[in-house]
Amino acid sequence: MSNEASIHGAGEHAAQREFELEVRAQDMEVNFGPQHPATHGVMRVLVRSDGEVVTGAQAHLGYLHRCAEKIGENVEWLMYLPYTDRYDYLSAMNNNLGYSMAVESLMGIRIPRRAELLRVICVELNRVGSHLIAFGTYGMDVGAMTPFFHCFREREWMMALFEKICGARLTYSYIRIGGLFNDAPPGWLEEVARFCDVFEERWVEYEQLLLSSHIFIQRTAGVGVLSREMALAFGVTGPMLRASGVDWDLRRDMPYSIYAEIFAAGAFKVPLGSGAKGKLGDCWDRTWVRVMEMRESIGIVRWCLAHMVEGPVVGDLPKVLRVPAGESYVAIENPRGELGHYVVSDGGRGSIRTRVRGPSFSNLAVIEELLPGALVGDAIAIIGSIDIVVGETDR
Amino acid sequence: MDFTGIHDRLSLIRAPGLLGADLPRKADPANKSLRARAGGPFVSVEAALLPQFLRVCRDDPRLCFEMLVDISATDPSKSATELWVNVSLLSVSARQRLQIKSSVPKQAPRLPTCSGVYPAANWHERECAEMFGLVFEGHPDPRHILLPEDWIGHPLRKDYEYPKTYHGISCE
Repeated sequence: MSNEASIHGAGEHAAQREFELEVRAQDMEVNFGPQHPATHGVMRVLVRSDGEVVTGAQAHLGYLHRCAEKIGENVEWLMYLPYTDRYDYLSAMNNNLGYSMAVESLMGIRIPRRAELLRVICVELNRVGSHLIAFGTYGMDVGAMTPFFHCFREREWMMALFEKICGARLTYSYIRIGGLFNDAPPGWLEEVARFCDVFEERWVEYEQLLLSSHIFIQRTAGVGVLSREMALAFGVTGPMLRASGVDWDLRRDMPYSIYAEIFAAGAFKVPLGSGAKGKLGDCWDRTWVRVMEMRESIGIVRWCLAHMVEGPVVGDLPKVLRVPAGESYVAIENPRGELGHYVVSDGGRGSIRTRVRGPSFSNLAVIEELLPGALVGDAIAIIGSIDIVVGETDR
Repeated sequence: MDFTGIHDRLSLIRAPGLLGADLPRKADPANKSLRARAGGPFVSVEAALLPQFLRVCRDDPRLCFEMLVDISATDPSKSATELWVNVSLLSVSARQRLQIKSSVPKQAPRLPTCSGVYPAANWHERECAEMFGLVFEGHPDPRHILLPEDWIGHPLRKDYEYPKTYHGISCE
């Protein structure tokens, strides 16, 4: 700066003006967020850029921290269940299931068959709804508005189905410790079957609308390539891990609930990224895996509908819920990856530790490695493809 | 892979710092001191040797734990003198899980960082540090992650005192 001033031979004032007018092109720091449409919540990513190339990234979390783990220590076992809805609010059924299973594993309760089947139906419908949001908003992040409306049309029906079964559209608290809140109302299962039929017809549109769109491929193929090694080292799970070519799905590989039976019956496969449009583990692969998983989830729902039985939906529970002293870590496959609950009981009415291992937290950690080297314009495409829910990274 | 299998392997390999194992078991109402263990094998490991232990778990072809899933800590009670550090490992190729537990004294809760072995440990350790006051020696980025940088106290400790004010704003 001062060199330039002396070259021009200008006085002090001129140097001052030049400093004000200078446009710095090197090592500029840009804030994404906290209020940015592509962060899908309140999160800030500090990006350092050299011209158009990102040279460093740092995620700043905590804007949505609501002390979920501390609350877990202060309330009774059953009272904590509504809080689980609120960390990953797009897949509340999955969170209910994860927490309930962790407590049930300590208590050793047997879940009635009908409750297990209804649980799986709800969890998989919720997975479809969550992937619809991920897919629809991702299209919007990279500039395609239309798929968003198609996704929300189907999601609206899914939420109406949940409203019919438990009265809530987003925070369900439907899957409870020991079983379910109540049985499905008359005609609900038939409506789910109709939803499956209609969804499978409309699902074809997603590929036509977005996945095979030339603009979308240009925007995402070969962008944000997450290698298999990096995915494993950073503890990335869920569709992101599968898009990087790691064949791992807890529903198949460490089955819980009745998934072992469903997989043995051939009702679902595990879609894996292949680098079909660009490189293995790019943003396109991640989107493709999510779209394919939606169809697999519908297959699981259909299997459960075909094998539905009559019976109770709540196991034998004592009047006051007492959990024997001990500790347990139970993980389930949430739409975003491994959702783990580590609960410790001392035999009292509440837990002494409720640890929530949210998949978004670990999946987000990898952006500090993924963003450097990418273009600033691709940063949004990369952050969006991770499909984070900030409520869960911050808990 | 059953539990005794993993533990036998760990002893065979002479994994550094391995103290013992907790078999999965059901709680017994007649014996109150017996604690239930569920959801995968648990082993206890000396805190000072945790990185070396994890390195063996990651690199030994008989174990192949490629992924660190979680690091968290537990303060068992107000009167307890030790904090537990819980590490959760997953092997994708061998389809097995391992829960590791270490104890550190509450007075001087220090242990070496594991982020050199698994990069995934970085953020989890930052969360443990702010929530429990654990000090991870050699951590590359020891800032707060979820709490503000000027937050006083460690909220998940059982002896945590809730703040009365924050920046002049009453919290009561």
